[in-house]
Amino acid sequence: MNDILLVARREIGVRARTKGFLISLAVSAVLVAALAMLPKLFAGNDSYDVGLVGSDSLRTAATTAATAQKVDLSFTPLPDEAAARTALLAGDIDAAVLDGRALLADGAVDRRLGVILQAGHTSVKTQEQLRAAGLDPAKVTEAMRVAPLTEQSVSPLRGDSSVRSGFAMLIVFVLFFLLMSSVTAVAMGVVEEKGSRIVELILTSIRPWQLLAGKILGLGVLGLVNLGVIIVAGLSAGVATGLTADLPDGVAGIVAGAVVWFLLGYAFFAVLAAGFGSLVSRQEEVGGVLTPLTTLLMAVYLVAFYAVAEPTGPLARVLSLVPPFSSMVMPVRMAATEVQLWELAVAAVAMLAAVAAVLAAGARIYRRAVLRTGARIRLTEVLR
Amino acid sequence: METRALHKRYGDKEALRGVGLAVRPGEMFGFVGANGAGKTTTMRIVMGVLEADSGEVLWQGRPMTFEDRRGFGYMPEERGLYQKMRVAEQIEYFGRLHGMSPAAARTATHDLLERLGLSERAGDPIEALSLGNQQRVQLAVALVHDPTLLILDEPFSGLDPIAVDTLAGVLAERRAAGVPVIFSSHQLDLVEQMCDSVGIISAGRMVAAGPVDEVRAREGRRQLKVVVRGAGPGWADDLPAEITHQNGVHVLRAAEADDQAILRAAMSAGTVEHFGWEQPTLTEIFREAVA
Ligand SMILES: Nc1ncnc2c1ncn2[C@@H]1O[C@H](COP(=O)(O)OP(=O)(O)OP(=O)(O)O)[C@@H](O)[C@H]1O
Ligand SMILES: [Mg+2]
Repeated sequence: MNDILLVARREIGVRARTKGFLISLAVSAVLVAALAMLPKLFAGNDSYDVGLVGSDSLRTAATTAATAQKVDLSFTPLPDEAAARTALLAGDIDAAVLDGRALLADGAVDRRLGVILQAGHTSVKTQEQLRAAGLDPAKVTEAMRVAPLTEQSVSPLRGDSSVRSGFAMLIVFVLFFLLMSSVTAVAMGVVEEKGSRIVELILTSIRPWQLLAGKILGLGVLGLVNLGVIIVAGLSAGVATGLTADLPDGVAGIVAGAVVWFLLGYAFFAVLAAGFGSLVSRQEEVGGVLTPLTTLLMAVYLVAFYAVAEPTGPLARVLSLVPPFSSMVMPVRMAATEVQLWELAVAAVAMLAAVAAVLAAGARIYRRAVLRTGARIRLTEVLR
Repeated sequence: METRALHKRYGDKEALRGVGLAVRPGEMFGFVGANGAGKTTTMRIVMGVLEADSGEVLWQGRPMTFEDRRGFGYMPEERGLYQKMRVAEQIEYFGRLHGMSPAAARTATHDLLERLGLSERAGDPIEALSLGNQQRVQLAVALVHDPTLLILDEPFSGLDPIAVDTLAGVLAERRAAGVPVIFSSHQLDLVEQMCDSVGIISAGRMVAAGPVDEVRAREGRRQLKVVVRGAGPGWADDLPAEITHQNGVHVLRAAEADDQAILRAAMSAGTVEHFGWEQPTLTEIFREAVA
């Protein structure tokens, strides 16, 4: 155990110092923070400045409409139309209302602001016209008050669907990125040791499985650190933009679930990567020998991506139980919809069993291949 | 340390055909042989990096275990170090892998770097070092944990004469401390100077082994060297021995020649400048053995 920790500590110490790791850490954090802010950037403004020329009867009604939409309105009284045009062109105000007659803007009126101002205008004019027709506006309002339809979901979907699927998408993206980079790092590390013949020296003092376990553990810790940085960056970006308020319930649980599934997926793919990596002796060959593995990872990614769109579909439901697909599809389902406890249990047990199986196979390949430098070794040669 | 009847086959090529050698505590063993003779293969089998097809490796009279090997110091033929790791860090790491405490590993590393003249480079990454200096680090890695047996595959190749002296000094210290040392080398003069015993391997078989003096003095390998000034050609033709002749120097190869009769013949042929039995150099024995 001591030896494993020693190897892991070396991996962490050496790799954490490399530029590559620090850059990938920074890039992933910035990227995720940007993605977390994206919905708010697209949603546009939520505070507007409106110029009023002449009557300000619109003020109260428009403010009421704005409040219902969670938008801030402020009003600037202006002397005449010329002043309004100047202020619009200068960008001081977003729109101007001319005495209940016309709505001016620099180009088209912002859609949300337009709706709010038109609603305010309609309400003001309706009251005026009711009064002119000799009706009591208060009574009419009373008569028109209707309780809105209550909204109910017939599926287990919860929360705001666009935010929820955005969140699930982010999880898929992050898991894929992290799995791909850590798994490649494991294979590269194995080949570095094999190619430089340093294994020959190391394996006279520790066992192959100890070296393998230490490497996978160390690089896994680094992957976890990266995941932690991403979570912190993403959540702080979310808090800064007020997005977290819209997140589905139980975010903490979903994030924790994603971390656990990352670890399981990492264990699965990393052990295989080490096994495959040990078949070759040169860094240039790593890409080639890992192709089956990266293809599998891509397939998992695509299924998970599809599951974001249809989290309750049969494909997502079935593959969320099947390893290694479960490692990415299950966290998607957990973020997007309700997952039965038994489903979670089945998925976890199946994935653990799969990890144990690849551990046996991967360690066997590694042990037999890592000291045989030279030409690429065929899988059948070492599995026999 | 002892190996018995090691056999190893690569495909249909027999690399080892019954290699047996023994090294005692405090003994320095020089392992020599032509390229491809099987030195590296033998050493890798002893270190457990390679598995023999048959034969056994003994340590203190019983089969060698992984735990025994953990105490050994090994310098593989293909040098291997982590290129990005710093010199001191790397030596310490290997010390720890051999079970040293952090403090002990640090002290040992410090001392070794000093001894090998690498103290200034302690903080540099390996890749910034010249090949010879990388080799010194490789040696430090083999020595850091105070090994119970040293197995060094061509430790002298690529070293400058000063470094050769340093390394020879370090190895002599270990031998004096009672550690068996085995190293392979193509520099036979070095082996002759440094080693207590020598083993010559040829095409996977040991062809000569034993204490250096004994191997050199072995019967049939003694040579009688005679230099006669002013002797006419053919003076030695009638002598009862195989004779080679070069620039007035006659070398008679005879195990039990009647040296007195030869001396008399030489004296009557001219002025004898040199007359005496000589042991062949290792190089000569080697040439003959692998021929
Ligand atoms: N991995 C291998 N595959 C096939 N043949 C090998 C392999 N390793 C060594 N051999 C063969 O085994 C024989 C012994 O090789 P070995 O490396 O032990 O020689 P050596 O005495 O160390 O030579 P050198 O002085 O050149 O280092 C050689 O004929 C070599 O071709
Ligand atoms: Mg060799």
